[in-house]
Amino acid sequence: MLLFLYLFTLLNSFSPEVKIEYAWLRPAAKGMNSALYFNLNNVSSKADALYKVTSKIAELVQLHATVKNDDGTMGMKEIKQIAIPANAVVKFEPGGYHVMLIKLKKRLRVNSKIEFTFYFKAGGKVKVTAVVKKE
Amino acid sequence: MNSRIFFFCISLSIFILLLSNGCSKNLPEDRPSGLKSIQLLNQDSSIVNFPDEFKGNILLLSFIYTNCPDICPMTTHNMQMIQEQLKKEDINNVRFAELSFDPLRDTPYILKEFGDIRNIDYKNFMFLTGNEQEIRKILNTMNILAIPGDTAKTENGGIVYFYTHTDRITLIDKDGNIRNEYSGSKANIQQIINDIKTLGD
Repeated sequence: MLLFLYLFTLLNSFSPEVKIEYAWLRPAAKGMNSALYFNLNNVSSKADALYKVTSKIAELVQLHATVKNDDGTMGMKEIKQIAIPANAVVKFEPGGYHVMLIKLKKRLRVNSKIEFTFYFKAGGKVKVTAVVKKE
Repeated sequence: MNSRIFFFCISLSIFILLLSNGCSKNLPEDRPSGLKSIQLLNQDSSIVNFPDEFKGNILLLSFIYTNCPDICPMTTHNMQMIQEQLKKEDINNVRFAELSFDPLRDTPYILKEFGDIRNIDYKNFMFLTGNEQEIRKILNTMNILAIPGDTAKTENGGIVYFYTHTDRITLIDKDGNIRNEYSGSKANIQQIINDIKTLGD
């Protein structure tokens, strides 16, 4: 039992676990853009970072942040990776971080489900299914 | 007795006057929109004389582009929430319009798709597009910034561009005066509804 606990702790210390929760995206027409939102819940004691998301649904998938400029205008910028501190939740939500889905290959209808693959620096690849929701 | 009635009527008049002044103080002073009549197209490709079309009604006007994945859908959602709430409260003197500052891509067909996918009730809600120069005049008059900038290249080599833009919903009274301005994406829906009620009929 002690050996099992030791191995579990050791494994956990080298392999951060980030749970992807509440994944949803906006409805949009084919050829247009949408955004994917979710919570990254790091339940481990090690920090990690999300650096890529892929999906067949769009021609291009990027990590983005919505930013407010000094003149009050709103814009977006691509970000290379997003740090997820240990035992913390990083929210991707409207008006903030989002995964940008550029040039959708098909129409996103409410309640349809779309597959994504998340890439973490330490945690590796994680497959996620997100649902299309109206806000 | 007559003097009592007279005193009561005077007191009531002063009370009503004070009450109405108090309400109007919730909203900034009238500001003429300065908009000149311009022909635009709605989502059905019908000609809309803007802003004349809306005179006589309260107008809630926002500024969007449909390639926007985050801020503009939030604005549209807020407009829709206000529309639904007013419908529930049987307030029928308000019209909703969303003007695209990206008319080259936002054709009537694209605007219709954007609205249809969100189940927009077009009874008193429309999307507007038009000639690029004419739209630029409207944006300048209403102090709306919309600057094409960030670009991305798709796997097929296509270039996609996005806008840095003002995030706004504008409240215009039935005489065409600007009465208040709000964040579009983070609008306080109840505040806007209260302002609409303050404007009344």
